Amino acid sequence: MSLVIDSITKRFGDVLALDAVSLEIKPGEVFGFLGANGAGKTTAMRVVLDILRPDSGTVTWGGRSNRDLPHETWGYLPEERGLYAKMKVLDQLVFFAKLHGVKPKAAERETRDWLDRFRIPEYADRRAEQLSKGNQQKIQFIAAILHDPQVLLMDEPFTGLDPINVALLKEAFLEMKDRGKTLIFSTHQMETVEELCEAIAILDRGRVVVGGNLRDVRRSSGRQVVRLAVEGDPEIGWLATLDGVRVTRRGQDYTEAEVAKGFDPEMVLQAALARHCKILHFEIADPSLEEIFIEQVGQMDTSERTLAPKAVYA
Amino acid sequence: MSGWRNLFPNAWYVAVREYRSRATSRSFLIGTLILAVVAFAATQLPVLIDVAEGTSQTRVEILATASGLPSDALTVVDQVLNGSGTAADSSSHKPYALSWFVGGDPASAQSTLETGKFDALLIIDRDPTSRDLAFILRTDMPSDGRQAQMITSATRMLAIEDGLVRAGTSTASVLAPTNLKVLPVSSSGTAAVHSISQEVSSTLLSTGLIVLIFMAIITYGTWVAMSVAEEKGSRVMELMLNATTPLQMLAGKVIGNGAAGLTQYGIILGAIVVGLVAQGPIHQAVLSGSGTSGAFGGLNAPVLAAFVVLFALGFLLYSLLYAALGSMVSRQEDVQSATSPLMMLIMIGYFMSIFGLQAIDETWVRIASFIPFFSPYLMLARVSVGHVEVWEFGLAVVFLLVAIAIALVVAARIYSAGVLLYGQRVGFRQILKAARVSR
Repeated sequence: MSLVIDSITKRFGDVLALDAVSLEIKPGEVFGFLGANGAGKTTAMRVVLDILRPDSGTVTWGGRSNRDLPHETWGYLPEERGLYAKMKVLDQLVFFAKLHGVKPKAAERETRDWLDRFRIPEYADRRAEQLSKGNQQKIQFIAAILHDPQVLLMDEPFTGLDPINVALLKEAFLEMKDRGKTLIFSTHQMETVEELCEAIAILDRGRVVVGGNLRDVRRSSGRQVVRLAVEGDPEIGWLATLDGVRVTRRGQDYTEAEVAKGFDPEMVLQAALARHCKILHFEIADPSLEEIFIEQVGQMDTSERTLAPKAVYA
Repeated sequence: MSGWRNLFPNAWYVAVREYRSRATSRSFLIGTLILAVVAFAATQLPVLIDVAEGTSQTRVEILATASGLPSDALTVVDQVLNGSGTAADSSSHKPYALSWFVGGDPASAQSTLETGKFDALLIIDRDPTSRDLAFILRTDMPSDGRQAQMITSATRMLAIEDGLVRAGTSTASVLAPTNLKVLPVSSSGTAAVHSISQEVSSTLLSTGLIVLIFMAIITYGTWVAMSVAEEKGSRVMELMLNATTPLQMLAGKVIGNGAAGLTQYGIILGAIVVGLVAQGPIHQAVLSGSGTSGAFGGLNAPVLAAFVVLFALGFLLYSLLYAALGSMVSRQEDVQSATSPLMMLIMIGYFMSIFGLQAIDETWVRIASFIPFFSPYLMLARVSVGHVEVWEFGLAVVFLLVAIAIALVVAARIYSAGVLLYGQRVGFRQILKAARVSR
């Protein structure tokens, strides 16, 4: 019953939006699409939804092609928030649910339920244009789930929301997961992915550069990270002089360093003890997703990811 | 195309939503109200004109001092001033109130005039030498005004009548119609004699009907395009695409907006019909006189049926194209320019039919009346003014239906490709490319 994306290729004119993308997403999983703007996340979702037809490749859910599956299988929260501006919230939610085959009475009951859950029951009779961005996003979320879809696809669901609304939506997500739904969402916020996702795929210019279980992805890089803080020496200048150690971040709380493959992170601790430092903090950590992302996506072509040098005028 | 199956009920839901949001919008309500009021007012124009004319009655004091006036002198003057049929229709409004005095003192008549009881004093005397009538008109009304000229005409008629009576005859016998029969060319006797007034009124009618179709297609077709562009602009489109198929959306939009348009049209036409029917009673109430008859000349069942059929099919054909073009822009502001090619096509058909009305039997009119984009106008023109065989009409309808089927397929393709393309206006080439790969 997994969602299998099998070597999907989609070209728009000269742009290769998806280049033989293959993924498997297990049922009940929370899956994150990571990638810079234009990496192909939205296109991939539209292909899964059968809104766009790929040039080649197939998408199946539980063995059935997405072309044969009813629309009701999917719940979709598009990146661009779109509601009928002049229509009342309740009316349009019932309208969307009806299009998915839900009976109007049931749709209204569900809608009022969810508005209550989001603590905005009084918005049922307001026009969409009167709502704040955060509240519109809640309405869109309700629109995506009213017909009880098996798979929920959400494109940048947290972008532009304040922390309170982000927390509310995350809670709603997790509730959908508890109901056994498969959740797929795209983002470029690494912390959110680390917090919510069990599996990820990093897309770069239409290709999957890393994919799979989040822990495996982290370990797969083979990189080891050491965080160290000692009393009276916030800079820890000697750290960079050790063989196989590269300081990646100097912070107030601790200094972070990367230990090359083949070296034991423990040697950093031993070096500190040998120098009679008073150790406040020592930690061996997996590399953060952000580091992996920069490693994977940044490696491919760094020139495009930095500003061109300033022009010098005589 | 997966959308061909299960067109309903989703197309119906979309149509209902479109209809509701359109018909409850402020612009629709205000627009309909204004148009209905204007249309109703327009039908009351004849009454208004009569009222404007009727409230001013010119009072004329006539003093006949001449001897041997023709016995029907008063009738002659009355007929010239107040029009014919005055005797039979005593209730109708008379623009001139005539007070007729035979014999009497010009001086006292003069003093009555000066009190302001009358607008004019006409003294009819006889020249003692030539025995012809001699008139004096005392008035402060402008000498070249309508009233003075009417009175002048009346005196001329009276002088002629007087001269004829003295010569032993009368105007009535001199002007009696000749014994003339008018028959059609064919001797079979079944053909009706054409009259110019009949022809003029059916030309006017068909021009009116053509304008009705023309206005409806442009106005309500633009509504369809606008509503597509609006949905794209507000990005509801993406949500809709997961819930429906492009074909369901397309059909729903055309039906919903078309129905809203027809509702507005119906209300306006209703106002006109009510206005025409009410013309008589209103005329009677305001002026206590019988009204002008309604302008229904030339409207008969076949013309009306042809109008309804051609209206519906023409509207359907053009709306589909409007929807397709509307899907090619991202903002409502661009709808006008995107739909201009279609506007040109509609204008061409419109002008062809207006010119065609004057040359209804020309070959080019006949040929064009079968071409789907023009047949709504030209076939209607031919039905109402010229002569059309039933099979000709049927053929035009079949062509229209085929064109609609083709337009549906093409529009659905352009639509499903266009709705996802954002950015600047999308060119036809891009659309064709996208249409090939989209579902």
